[in-house]
This record gives sequence, C-alpha cells and structure tokens, in this order.
Amino acid sequence: MAEVVFAYKNITKRFFGVHALKDVSFELERGRILGLVGENGAGKSTLMNILGGVLQPDEGQMILRGAPFAPKNPLEASSAGIEFIHQELNLFTNLSVSENISISRFPCLGSSPLINKKKMRESCKKLLKSLNLDISPNILVENLSPGERQLVEIAKALSTNADILLFDEPTTSLTAKETEHLFSIMRSLRDEGKSIIYISHILGDVKSLVDDIVVLRDGQVICGGPIEDFPIHRMINLMVGREISNVFPERHSHAKDRVILEAKHVSETGIVRDVNITVREGEIVGMFGLMGSGRTEFARMLFGVDPYKEGSITVCTEPLPKRNPQQSIKRGLAFITENRREEGLLMDYPILENIGLVSLPDFSSRMTRMVDSKRLFKQANEIATSLRLKCNDLKNQKVKSLSGGNQQKVVIGKWLLKHPSMLIMDEPTRGIDVGAKYEVYLIMEQLAKEGTGILFISSEVEELMAMCDRIVVWSQGEVMHEFEKSDFSQERIMRIAFRQSLEYSEEEKAVVNGQD
Amino acid sequence: MKQTLVRKEPEKGSSAVQEAGMPQGRLLLSPQVNVAKRILMSEYFVLYLTILYILILTPIIPRLWHPMNIRNILSNMWPLLVVAIGQTFVLILAGIDLSQTSVMAMSSVVGAVVMTSSADPILFTKSPLWGVFLTEQGGLLGGSPWALPVGILAMLAVGLIIGFLNGFSVAYFRMPPFIVTLVSMMLFSAMAIFLTKSENIRYLPEAYLRISKSWFSVISGAMIIAIILAIVAHILLTRTLFGKRLYAVGINTTASQISGVPARRTIITAYMVSGLCASIAAVLYSSRLEMGRPTLGSTLFIDIVGANIIGGISLAGGKGKITWTIFGVFFFIILANSLNMLNLSFYIIDMVKGSVILIAALLDVARNRIRKAQM
Amino acid sequence: MDKTRVIKFTMKNSTAVLFVLIFIMFGLIAPRFFTVKNFQNIMSNASYIGIIAVGMTFVLLTGGIDLSVGSTMYLCAVVCGKLINEAKMPVLFAVIISLLVGVLIGSVNAFAITRLRLVPFITTLITQTIARGFGLFITRSIAVNYPDSVTLMSTSKVLGFIPLQIFIFLSVVAVAAIVLGKTRYGRQLYAVGNDLESAKKAGIRCDRLIASTYIISGLLAALGGFVTITQIGRVNAGFGSGDEFDAIAAAVLGGASLFGGIGTVFPGTVLGTVMIEMIQAGLVFANIDIYIQPIIMAGIIFLAVFIDSVRTTQIQKLERRNILKA
Repeated sequence: MAEVVFAYKNITKRFFGVHALKDVSFELERGRILGLVGENGAGKSTLMNILGGVLQPDEGQMILRGAPFAPKNPLEASSAGIEFIHQELNLFTNLSVSENISISRFPCLGSSPLINKKKMRESCKKLLKSLNLDISPNILVENLSPGERQLVEIAKALSTNADILLFDEPTTSLTAKETEHLFSIMRSLRDEGKSIIYISHILGDVKSLVDDIVVLRDGQVICGGPIEDFPIHRMINLMVGREISNVFPERHSHAKDRVILEAKHVSETGIVRDVNITVREGEIVGMFGLMGSGRTEFARMLFGVDPYKEGSITVCTEPLPKRNPQQSIKRGLAFITENRREEGLLMDYPILENIGLVSLPDFSSRMTRMVDSKRLFKQANEIATSLRLKCNDLKNQKVKSLSGGNQQKVVIGKWLLKHPSMLIMDEPTRGIDVGAKYEVYLIMEQLAKEGTGILFISSEVEELMAMCDRIVVWSQGEVMHEFEKSDFSQERIMRIAFRQSLEYSEEEKAVVNGQD
Repeated sequence: MKQTLVRKEPEKGSSAVQEAGMPQGRLLLSPQVNVAKRILMSEYFVLYLTILYILILTPIIPRLWHPMNIRNILSNMWPLLVVAIGQTFVLILAGIDLSQTSVMAMSSVVGAVVMTSSADPILFTKSPLWGVFLTEQGGLLGGSPWALPVGILAMLAVGLIIGFLNGFSVAYFRMPPFIVTLVSMMLFSAMAIFLTKSENIRYLPEAYLRISKSWFSVISGAMIIAIILAIVAHILLTRTLFGKRLYAVGINTTASQISGVPARRTIITAYMVSGLCASIAAVLYSSRLEMGRPTLGSTLFIDIVGANIIGGISLAGGKGKITWTIFGVFFFIILANSLNMLNLSFYIIDMVKGSVILIAALLDVARNRIRKAQM
Repeated sequence: MDKTRVIKFTMKNSTAVLFVLIFIMFGLIAPRFFTVKNFQNIMSNASYIGIIAVGMTFVLLTGGIDLSVGSTMYLCAVVCGKLINEAKMPVLFAVIISLLVGVLIGSVNAFAITRLRLVPFITTLITQTIARGFGLFITRSIAVNYPDSVTLMSTSKVLGFIPLQIFIFLSVVAVAAIVLGKTRYGRQLYAVGNDLESAKKAGIRCDRLIASTYIISGLLAALGGFVTITQIGRVNAGFGSGDEFDAIAAAVLGGASLFGGIGTVFPGTVLGTVMIEMIQAGLVFANIDIYIQPIIMAGIIFLAVFIDSVRTTQIQKLERRNILKA
C-alpha cells in the first residue's frame, strides 16, 4: 500500500446551523490522483477551503504527512506544500505573467527588498516551457486568453514545488486539446510522486484521469475506492442518491407550430458566428456547450444585454431592437441569468421587491407613477405560494438569507409575474439541491404546457436530455448540430461539443486517443 | 423587522449590565441589554439621541429654549435640510455629489443677476456680464414684476442643468461620480466667481427676501418649502416607480438593468434631483443673506454629507430614508447651535463636528455588524 | 491586427499624447514658453503638489482616497513653525517632528480604515476637518511666519544647480518609482488594487499594505507642506486647503484609476503634475484672465478623466475574450 500523504478525519462544518460537511473522512496517497465528485452544494468546495485554510472545521482534524494540520490562512497551507488551481482564476490582470507566478514569494536581490527580476523571469520561463506554453514572462495577464490564463494559474501552483495539488474544475475554459495537454501534465506530476485531488463535473474526464475516487453527497462521503470499481453510471447514481430516472419529472411535448423566437445569421466579431435558432410556442430547446462555447454570450445578445453586429432577432415575426432589455421585456422575453448573485437578484433587498422589480411598471399608475403596493403584494404572494417558496416574511426578509434553491425561485418568480411568452434560462439549476432542481423542472414543464417557449442552457447533458424537445450543441461560438429528441445520445452530444465527428467507432476512438 | 434574541457580545455601553445581571458563560442576554440593543438598532435612534442631547443641554444652556434661538435653529435647519435631501437621493445610488456647493453658488449668482435692481459700476465693470446682463439699472429683469418668478426659475434651471451634466457623465461615460462631481464643483464655483469677479450682488426684490423671513411666529416660506419638499421626496422614495428603481440601481446596477430598470435614466434623474434641491437651498440661503454670493455654500459639503451620515445613510448605497435625513440634519443643527452658544471658537466647533460624524460612521459599522449577526 | 494595436497604444498612452499636444500648443501661442527658466519655474511649482500626488498615487492604487492631505500639510507646517519660533528648536528636529505628525495623521486614517472598517472617503474627510481644526487651535488662526533659515533653503542648490525643492521632488519620485516598480511591496500593492479577494488568497497581508499607503500619504503631505513653506515663508489659515483635489487631479491625469490597481508614479503622476503646472504657467503666458484659469483647469481634468473612461471601455472591448477560432 502506498504512503498516505494527507487525510481528513471526521471533519464537520456548519454554516448558520446547517451541516455543510458531516463527519467526512478520506485519505490521499502519494503519487495518486484522487477524483472528488459530487453535485453542486455537496460540500466539495467547503472541503477544499478547509484544506486551504480559508475555513476552519467545527469538528475533526486533518493529518498531513503524519502530523495534525490546521492551517489558519492560505499562506500556511501554501507553505505546507499545498496548492490550489481554482475554477475562477486568482490572477492579477494588471501584473505580468512572471509577477503573477511569484506574487507570494518574490525572489529578492540578496537581503534587499528589490525583486530579482532576472531570476524571476528565468524560473518563470522554465515553468512555462514545462507546460508547453509559448508566451513571454513579461506579458500582462490581461492580454492572455482564458485558456492561457488557466495554464498560468497552474504554473503558479507548480512554482512552489508543492507536493499536494488541488484542481477545482480546471478544464471549464479549456479547449479539448488544452484539456488533454493538461491531463498529460497532471499524469507526469503524479509519476514524479506528487499527490493530486481533482474535482470535476465532467465524469468522463474523471474516469480517464484519476486513480481513486470519492463521492460526496449532502456533505457526507457516500463511497470511495479505486476508479475501476466506479463506472460512470454508478458515480451518477451515488451522487444524486437515487436512480437517475427519478430525478426528472415526466415530460410531454407541448410544441406548437407558431414560432416565438427566431434568430437569423447572428454574428459578433470574436464571439459568435452565423447563429440560427428558433423556438416555438410550448417548446423547450436546450443549448449545450462547454463553458466559453458562446451559448451564454448568445443568450445575452438575444435578451439585449450585449450587442451583436450582424443578423436579426425576431419575436413573433417582429424584429426585436438591439441592446434594450426593457424592450425585450415588453415583447415578452424573460432572462434567468447564470449568476444569480451578480445579475439575477438584489441580495440586500427584500424578497417582495425582488419579485416585483420587473413588473413594477404594470403596478404603477400611468399618471402619478405611484406603485400599487397592495396589489403587488397580493400577486407576488400568489406567485411565491405557487412556486412553494420557503420564507418567513415576503415583505421584510432579504433575499440573501434564503437558500440557493429558494433564491432561484425568487428569480423565476420575478419573471413569472410578468407572464413571459419566451423564457431564457441560463444554468437555472446550478448550485441548488436535487429537490429544488426537481421543482424547477416541474415549473418548466408547467410553463411549456401553458405555451411558453423556453431556451434552456445547461452544462449537464442529462438534464437537457430529460427536459428538452430539441438540443442545440455549441462549440467555439458556433452552432454545430441540432439534435431532435429521438436522436438524443449523451456520447454523441459530447463528441459534437468537443468538435469531433458524429460518426463514432471503436477504431476511430483508439486512433484519436493515440494521436493525442 | 423581526427582533430575535441573539448570541452576541453586547456593545460596550451595556457590558456593565451584563456583568452584574448575568451568570457567566450564559449566552442569552439580559432584558436591559436587549432594550439597549433595540434602541441602538431602532430607526429613531438618532432622534432619541437628539432628544437626550437637548435634555442634557437644557440646564447648561438655558438660552437654548429662547424663542430667538429656536427661530435661529429653524432658519438654519430648513436650507440644510433641503440640500441634504438632494444628497440622500445620490447616496442611495451609491454615488456622491460634491458639486452641490457649486450649484448653490451658481444658482445664487444667476438668480441675482436676473433679479437685482441695481449694481454698483465700481464693483462690476470688470465682470463679463457688465453691459449686457448687468447694468447700473440692475439685472436682466431688475425692477420688473417678472423678476421674481423668472429669477427663481432660472435658479432652479441651473441646478437641473448641472445635475443633468453630472448624471449624464456618470451614466453614459461611466465616469466615477466622485471625479465627475469634483470637476463640476471646481468648474462651476470658478464660473460663479468669474462671472461676478468675486463680488456679492445685492438689491434683490423685496418679495424674494420675504421667502426666508418669518411670516408668523416660526412659520416662514423657507419652512413651508422645506416641509413640502421633504414630503414629496419621501413619497417619491417610498411610493413611486422611480423611488423603487433608485434603491434597486443603488444595490446592483447590472441586475436592475437586466430586470428592465432604465438605470441610466434613473441615475440622471437622481443627480438632477440633487442639483434641484441644491438650487432650492440656494433660494433659501440667498434670500436670507439678501444677496447673490459667488462663494455661497463653499464650506457646506461636510455639513451636507455629515448630516446624512449622522442620519444613518451609508455611502455604500441602497440604503436611506428621508426621515433619517431629517433626524441627521436636526441633530447636526442642534449640535452646531449649542456649540456656538458655548462660545467656542470655530475651529473647536469644526473639530467637534468632525468627531461626531466619525462616531456616527462608527455606529453605522457597529449596527451593520449586529444586523449581520442577527441573520 | 496592426491597426488595433496602434489604437491600443494611443489609448494606453493618452496622457503622454495629451501632454505633448498641450506643450506644443502653448509653445505656439507664446514662444517664450520654451525657455529653461520657464521650465525650472514649472518644475519648482510642481514640486510640492507633486510630492503629495505621489503619496496620493499609493492610496489610489489600493482603491482608496485621501482627502486629508491638505489639512495634514497645514498642521505639519504649523507644528514645524511653532517648534522653530517658540520652542527655539533646531530646524532639522522641527522638520523631523512635523514629518512624524504627518505619519501620525496617516496612521489614524490607516487605523480607522483597516481596523474600524470605515470608508476611506468619510474617514479622510473627517481627519481633514479635525487636522485643520487642530492647526487653527494651535495658531488661534493667526498666520505663522518662518525665519530666514527656513526660507533661504529654497534658494539653495543641490550639486550646485538643482534647486532644493526640485531635488526633493525628484528624490521622492525616484524612491517611489523604485518601490512601486521593483520591490515586492510595490508589486503586491498593484495586486491588492486589482483584486482584493485574490490578493488575500495569495497570502498577501492586504490590511497592512493598505494601511501603509495612508501613512506614506501622510508623510509625503507633511514633506510637501515643508517644501512649500521654504518657498513662501508664511502659512495662513487657508494653507493647503483644496490641495487634496489638485493632488488627486494630478494622479488621475497621470492615468491613475480611482478603482485601484492602475497608475504609476513615473511617468504617470509626474506627468500629470507637470501638466497641471504647465497649463497654469501657459495660461499666464497667454495672458488669460486669472478668473478663467480654474475653469480651464477643471475642463482639462474632465477631459483627461473622460478619455480615461472611454479608453477603459474601448480596451475592454478590444480585449474581450475571443471564442471563435480564426
């Protein structure tokens, strides 16, 4: 048996009395890659934050190289040889690549405070070379592409000679080739004797990369062991805690002939190219693509948040003005953005005001512009009840005190109050628990039944396949393929998203893997 | 708001209560501490504080209650209230308006140039206005019955225009409000001085001067204007579409825009309200001083912002009520008045004022922490 | 691709471009503008605002603001004068103590902002009032005069040809530029201004860095005050008031952002300061009404900030991530 480098022992962590982690224990061995999978909110990031010294556990302890380990801040974790590669980048765009890499420990000239720029550049060059990244150490990070930035972040982690590395969804902004490249680097790091924890939602990647796996659900370790014992379907079942068929409600097609939304030849330099999409009355159209494939950007253009250069967007055959969310709303569009906290909700504002925000003009008199608060409260209350929103006080309770799922219901509620004919949902189930997800799906089914057209963006193929009448697959700013319900296949959709040919055979797969 | 018993160390003032009345290690608070906390967290905290302050001062400065002094306090209060209400709108937006002082200066000059009935050639021949807008026979409409309405409208227009320019720059060019209003503060106060060559313009119409004079006992035009304005502002903020949108934009501009709030229009309107209030305050101040003054209000910025902060309005935006502004202004004026009556020199008064604002800002931080702990 | 690069270059260097344009313009209006004497005057006038603006740049880099520098100048100058005139202290000691007073005011700001979590704007607005009040309290609002030993300093030349105030200014700039550009402290300051949360995660002691900038700003304000009194020899009750705005304007003209993370001492703030003095000198040369000068100044600052905000959005557009593969 290999040497255990690090172990969690009975870690428990509560936030506001709610268990985020409950009695979590597992071990990381030297020279192994450990996959950590679980749904959003299963406790993965809390676990990582505890290891990184960002949070302290309420109970339990950690053992590092045989000794108890309790980092109080990120610096302590870092000097103990633990480094993170986060999903969201922690780079300083106004500094150069080499400065970013050595930000915590600049090499100095002797004992002076002056930075030894030559040494810094040299070591940076060496790192970049080992990552096969062909950029100058002097270039500012703001001039790099997302993929390059991700690799710089990895270089930063490697620069410290850490022997425990944590990768938290590092591939979301990488192309297929960059991903494969990253994996080969990770494998060689492992072979050098480093230990790696890898967190990802892309289970195929997990399957092909890791040696061991731990499955988390609701803050508890459900199962763990060598990856050979965990085929993908088993991982999924363990993660969601029930057979996959029970996660989604029954769907019926309600699609009518009337086209509600039509985008023709929409292009914007560097973002999307020649996109054509239609959504019919009562139809749920899915948009799948890897992060950064252009689907979110396109949704923002549809709703008028971002501009586009060419093409046209029509709602019920009438052209929709560009860059004007107000007009879009008037024409019956609604937009649930991917980031609730920044763009969906006013976190410091009461629930009622959030639900009412979009429809305020409908509740105010034309002449005096006074808002009819009583009528607003009544209708908002009805919406909240129908969405089964759990809250104490609609009028005074602030949104930020609600759970993720209930926050999402507030976002949905504020658009439903406006009775939209076309609903754009960007990752509406991200970061909410399985129960709340199910309720969101039910709401979608209900809306489709009532004739609302829905454009449903998601990174989870399973939910798209279960909920949509049609799935549009994106890659690098283009629509690659449209799947009708009868053609849905997880593998085929993924292959398209990775820009591989739809035809699929064992020989081909072997060839592709061999070349990479 | 729902008051809950919380496990949290009490604020300093009541620690003695806890030691005396509580067994050690217990987490629930004694009733006294809760009352103290409830008072601290109350919307009316500043008002209670003001009343307490007055009660303490009464035996020390009996002249406080002299009718002359009450009249003095009130006549100091109305114009400051008016301009502070304007600032409240911008603060709710998480903005700031440094240019209010220059709006007051510009307004008072423009109004006086329209209304004055006589100008001294010795003082004004060097002014660029001399000969066209300003002559020995006075301003544009000097002596005419139209002087008063046109003059006041011109003053209000000045506030609206400067407010529009500020709002437009902030909303459309995304320039930081601090710099935008700093520049317009510099620009328009320099302009007011340039137009008059630093001289005050006197000989304003009698009717104009009556605005700030007592009509009956403590009742004056200034009082009526300020009270009406406060009521309108209160309704605007709490009951109307604009008010609700103002808070929304102040909390999160992007999210509001996506929810169909015309954020740019809201921002521009808020800065225009701020400018308008400053120019109404200019009417009150200049009618009281009986002149148009190019340096009017130049030292008032700290009073305006200070009164708002004392009232509990944070610079972070999304928070604020007209009642808070009223309490803040009231406290600030009482404080200044009492310090004056103690015959302290102006620099001591300034230092005390500064310290009080500091304490108010600290209290706000403390209140936020308690509120967070209660969640 | 080349075209966008050219646009990007001009936008990123808009301050320098503006500087050259204004320079040439005044040269054309008044040829006497191009004299060594005139440049020396400009530099000499720029020195004290420049010194304060360097401190302000440190504060702005963290996304803060320091409105108290004008009053700090005043209080420190007053303390220095009183120590020389009434306590008969040697000039050097008096200067050192007055610099310490500047450090003290900076420390108060730093404490309130990083420990008590007050907003920089409010904190420094209040210390502005209190510091000036204290200065007026010491002097009973009577002007302070300085002995010849102080005023003669302004005529002394370092190395035989550099006037003392310019020498001090340049030394401050040199030290500050090295600190910001070449030391660990300086580079981490940029990181803090760029993204506070990430900086914390990278293990940078953000509070300490932020606190240090207010102390530096206070120290340099005191130094700026001293440089001024060597030149004018007398300090009245209004000394330094409003100078904080000139310092902010100089830094912002030099490309510093009020949101933090962007700005340099050299060339940025130096360029901004010299530009302000150059414009003022140029307006005198061009015989412009002194009442109009502040109006023009305000207009130019507005222009600089306007260009800055337009360029920020433009650069953002140019640097928006590219999804499409060419």
